[in-house]
Amino acid sequence: MNDILTSIRRTPYQSLAAFLVLFFTLFLSMVLFVSISFLQGLLQYVDTRPQVTAYFQVKTPESEIFKVRDELTASKKVLSLEYVSKQKAYEIYKSLNKDNPLLLEMVSSDILPPSLEIYALQPEYLPQIAEYLKKQPSVEEVNFQKDIIDRLLTLTQILRTTSSVFFAYLLLMGIIVLTATSMFKIALKRDEIELMRLLGATAWYIRKPFLMEGAFLGFLAATFSFGLLFGILMYLNTFLTSYLHGIPNLSLSIMSLSLVVWPLNPLFMGITFAIAAVFGIGIAAIANLLATEKYLK
Amino acid sequence: MILFDNVTKRYPLGNIALQNASFEIKDHEYVFLVGASGAGKTTILKLLMREMLPTEGTVTINDLEISSPQFKTIETLRRSIGMIFQDFKVLPDKNVFENIAVSLKIMNATKTRIKDDLAEALSLVGLSEKSLMFPAQLSAGELQRVAIARAIVGDRDIILADEPTGNLDPKTTWEIMKIFKKLEGKKTIIIATHNTDVVNSLKKRVIILEQGKIIKDIKKGGYDL
Repeated sequence: MNDILTSIRRTPYQSLAAFLVLFFTLFLSMVLFVSISFLQGLLQYVDTRPQVTAYFQVKTPESEIFKVRDELTASKKVLSLEYVSKQKAYEIYKSLNKDNPLLLEMVSSDILPPSLEIYALQPEYLPQIAEYLKKQPSVEEVNFQKDIIDRLLTLTQILRTTSSVFFAYLLLMGIIVLTATSMFKIALKRDEIELMRLLGATAWYIRKPFLMEGAFLGFLAATFSFGLLFGILMYLNTFLTSYLHGIPNLSLSIMSLSLVVWPLNPLFMGITFAIAAVFGIGIAAIANLLATEKYLK
Repeated sequence: MILFDNVTKRYPLGNIALQNASFEIKDHEYVFLVGASGAGKTTILKLLMREMLPTEGTVTINDLEISSPQFKTIETLRRSIGMIFQDFKVLPDKNVFENIAVSLKIMNATKTRIKDDLAEALSLVGLSEKSLMFPAQLSAGELQRVAIARAIVGDRDIILADEPTGNLDPKTTWEIMKIFKKLEGKKTIIIATHNTDVVNSLKKRVIILEQGKIIKDIKKGGYDL
């Protein structure tokens, strides 16, 4: 550790340049990662919402709603279907507004409409189901989520593709700039390296301090960029809480595991930091390997 | 034992640095390589360090043909050789202790061993009191002592010195030669020099080179060109 700090102290500008390149690369990459995670979480959340929701007139008798339900079930176009009574709708309303007594006081179960939440067997049945529901005289409103899902999906795909290209560019730029910086550092130690080779040092022994310094700067850059990102997320926390009001959480399904990304949770933040640290150390290590390899040849 | 067998070193542009050189140096022998600049002294040292390969012939150290392209343990070879340079090659940003310790650190020596071996080496070269000084604070003679200490630590069997007194005044030259005298019989010592006084006074084996050829190999000789 002392050797690393001494080396940084003796070449402060090169070390600062390497640190800043790593810092910005990792910070921008983490912003992209968190944005994609949120958007993916939002997509998965919307995907779990009913694909079509039919709100009936407040005074519609249950028998009529059940008739519509049975007809839909018989159509073989529905995967599942749930009836949300006025009372259940009120329970949901209460849980969503539990922190706002004024809103709770103003609403009773009588004014909330009963509804049917429908999941189609195939996406292509959705317009037909929606059309059928719209024709029912007792149906007041039909919420058809397909457009929202399609838009979110398109947005996620665009962001994912753009991010991949941007990330690859950042990675390449980071490695090139760091390799150049490392080569400059190595050139400053040319005499020492030449001497060490004559004394019998192995290539690994010569590389090791450069790799260790790179790994240290990579870890430092990951820590600082994560700190900045965390600070920004905390600053935006109030805004995000009100913006995502009504959404209990956003989560990512990774294999069979579910990772909550919102509200901010330590596991997701820990994974984000770990990825940044691995990338930071990895980029610095690759750059130093390339630089030393070129010099030792 | 070091064995040069018909060794020729020809550079790509055609100039010949060494031509059909053959000689044998036994363990713990003390040998001077003498000759004018460009005679081939440094080429012999570089071939022994395997900094270059001969164009023809073979170089063998302790029955290992180090001139073979298949020879891969270059680091191990170099760890058995201590090299001393005319320009000292002392690292300016490290103190005396650190400069010498480099030689042991590359062998992954323990801290205890580094401390013990360095104390012995510093005592041998007379720098025990100056171990924490930096090169800028030392005289040329002291810098060469640092280089010698660095070359002898780590149980290196062979000491190669390329013009070790080339930059030193006569008084310091003899002080340095006294250090080599202390090592005589313990290590194989090969010194490339054109210092007539030193070679003539010490009466050691002398290999005389001229334009890449060995013209004389005298058991207890002098500088007689």
